[in-house]
Amino acid sequence: MSCGELERLFVAGASREQALAHRNACRPCGELGADLDRIETLVSGLRAPSASPALREALLSIPRKTVSCEGADRLAASALEEELGPADRGRLDFHLSRCEPCRETAATLAAMRRLGAPLPAPWLAGRIAASRPRRRRPATLRNLFLNPKAAIGLAYAAAVIVMLAGFNPADIARKAGVARLGESAKASVEVAGGSLADRVGALQESVLRKLAAWKGEVAGYGRAALSTALALVMKSEQQRPPSRPRGGEERGRTKRNETELMTWRA
Amino acid sequence: MSDADEKALVARCREGEDEAWRELVDRYGQKIYAISYHFTLKREEAEELAQEIFLKIFENLHRYDGSFPLVAWIVSLSRNLCIDRYRRRRREKSFRFIPDDAVAPLLTAGDDPAAETLKKERTKLLFSALAEIPEDLAEILLLRDLDGLAYEEIGKALELPDGTVKSRLFRARAEVARRIRERHEARPGALLSLAVAAGAFV
Repeated sequence: MSCGELERLFVAGASREQALAHRNACRPCGELGADLDRIETLVSGLRAPSASPALREALLSIPRKTVSCEGADRLAASALEEELGPADRGRLDFHLSRCEPCRETAATLAAMRRLGAPLPAPWLAGRIAASRPRRRRPATLRNLFLNPKAAIGLAYAAAVIVMLAGFNPADIARKAGVARLGESAKASVEVAGGSLADRVGALQESVLRKLAAWKGEVAGYGRAALSTALALVMKSEQQRPPSRPRGGEERGRTKRNETELMTWRA
Repeated sequence: MSDADEKALVARCREGEDEAWRELVDRYGQKIYAISYHFTLKREEAEELAQEIFLKIFENLHRYDGSFPLVAWIVSLSRNLCIDRYRRRRREKSFRFIPDDAVAPLLTAGDDPAAETLKKERTKLLFSALAEIPEDLAEILLLRDLDGLAYEEIGKALELPDGTVKSRLFRARAEVARRIRERHEARPGALLSLAVAAGAFV
């Protein structure tokens, strides 16, 4: 077993003479040194294997086969602008098949491009069509009925008449409104055109808008007119204007009338 | 070739200059093939490995900053590929059995058939012993004694201080020598043939 001095001398870069001096003094190191000399002699007699000409050609063709990582970045960026030629596409694909970081980079770039052109929701065209400003119509008798304000006024008057005739004016107004909504929705659908989804979207949008308008305006005014008319009728039934209630019975009657009126309004 | 020249050569390769790439292949192709062969001991695998290494060199040229010799940078790039192949070879059952045709490319043609046979046996014995030592020791012995890299180049390629390189190299040689001795002691008479084979080289 060597004492370790020979290794220390070798690592320290000692001269051959210094190593020989120790080998002569230390028998184990002497034997080890002789083995090492033998190995060194044997190894130094080997020659390097020679590469074939075909290998050289294969190595020379590498730039036509692949690109460097920085070249891959350039090509991946160019691919966003224009279609790559077959040679560049082949080199880029070959590199991406071997290099994961570049593959991730190229995929991220491609994904960024897709982010620039998101797909529209199916209802978008319908919504745009429905929100388009309406053409001003000429003042005809038909359009007078289609004008919400005029229609509301007419409904107001009609509600009083109908109520006096014993019918519920709100039901009649709602029926008339639905018929008109059908025409308006048809116009929106024609404008929207396009796919079936667009048509459905336009119809939905238009119906909802009109329903809200008619609910809020026509039916609301109709009920208001009806309740006002009811109040007028009740008032006309009273011979004299209501005075300050004196007795408990009178106070209760007035209170009951008010409660009925509020219930009706509600 | 100075470091500046090597850096300029790499810069020309990065710019896509075919002539520069040809120069790089001619300068280092043979050495890389030799390293590949020493790790694989099979011609086809060595050629495949050399191509892999040069592909990696080409794809990573922008990483070379010229701070140390190009060959050390190439070896550091190719180290993992070589070690992977070496480990794959070690897993084979016949790893320690070195066939004649594996060592034939390493031998110089001699006139004496007997001496040539001895050389072949000696080389097989050497690689067989190398297969038995730890791979971090075998790697340094291959790079230094068979591929002729300088201590500094090996140190930079493997990211080891010079002292560690020398220490590992000494231990690698000692291990190989010990294993060869053990084999010869198990087979009396073989030591004599080894000595004769060694003498044939001197």
